[in-house]
Amino acid sequence: MRLALLAIAGVAGLGGLGACNPYLTVQSPAPPGRTARLDQVKNFWGLQRYRLELSRGVAIAITCEHGGPCEHMQVVSDDPAIAEVRSASLGVLQTSFDGEQTAAALVIVGKAPGQTRIHVREKNGSRDVVVTVIAPPAASAVVAAPAAATPLTAAR
Amino acid sequence: MRFVITAAPLGVTAALLAGSAAGSAGCAMGGAMHQATLVGQCAENDAACSRKHPLAPLAIGAHFHPDVSAEIAGTSTPNLRLESVAPDILSVEAGDLVGRQSGASAVLISTDDGSVVDFIHVWVAPVTQITLSRRDGERVSGTVGLAVGEDITLEPALWNGPQRLAGDQDLQWTVSDDHAVSVLRDGSAGRRRLRARAPGKATVTVGLGDSKATLEVEVVP
Repeated sequence: MRLALLAIAGVAGLGGLGACNPYLTVQSPAPPGRTARLDQVKNFWGLQRYRLELSRGVAIAITCEHGGPCEHMQVVSDDPAIAEVRSASLGVLQTSFDGEQTAAALVIVGKAPGQTRIHVREKNGSRDVVVTVIAPPAASAVVAAPAAATPLTAAR
Repeated sequence: MRFVITAAPLGVTAALLAGSAAGSAGCAMGGAMHQATLVGQCAENDAACSRKHPLAPLAIGAHFHPDVSAEIAGTSTPNLRLESVAPDILSVEAGDLVGRQSGASAVLISTDDGSVVDFIHVWVAPVTQITLSRRDGERVSGTVGLAVGEDITLEPALWNGPQRLAGDQDLQWTVSDDHAVSVLRDGSAGRRRLRARAPGKATVTVGLGDSKATLEVEVVP
């Protein structure tokens, strides 16, 4: 019986790990014909990390929340030559349990095709973003593509 | 479980904040974060100015002189600087945006300490056609008649298919008979003033790479 309770507590604790980390929200749209998409990667225990697909030359604004705007946020890219991270100032208030605070924001830019990882850390947790930077379509390739393939090619 | 309680969607709040900024700047190019605007540096009554085309792609090789401002609640516009994400497509030189090759690049609008206030994706396109207009915007083509001593100011426009491109370009102006017509600079990078000097005919050609526009000028006494 005691073993079962410990197991349940362990499962609950592991499940709670995902909830004890910050959440990211996109704040800017992708330009036409380019990609800037942030998706959650979940498993049985909940949110594990984020997946960001970004075209080269494109920027995306993201806010970090953890019961309100993230506190003492630090963001690092494993390879700034592929995806660079900048702190951002988004002059809006977000409501949390502690009242209103200015949003905590960052901007990620696609510098060169490839894959890297961005680590978002704040006072009480962290979250990883796996970033894939893709090359923009060649103008001639989009024009020459068959009709059925054009939408997918052009969407990148 | 998510603990965040948001009073209003951030995008809506930011859009409301940006509303007055976009309104005050007229046809401004709004940033993706709804906090900054970018327009061309032009006089209010300059009909041919690139301020009219802030959303157009920038011509390859052309310079765009931006006028950047931001409207953020509770502060005047901080010191701002521009930075291109893909300098091989679009570079920032002495505060100007310069088109380098076809494509798109985000231009980051940052404070002195590097904090991004906003960004704008700017497109760069090749020039496929050049047209000539008077200062009032009316297109000029074919033959123009001038009396000796008369002037006409011509403003070239750069096009990529049906799209007018933004930016100032250093175009090549030539005249077949400079005794009949003189081509004078008037302080603008692209604009020229034609002065009718003596009776006769001349062909004025404006060229950029493989694109060119020609105008026949007939000068009468």
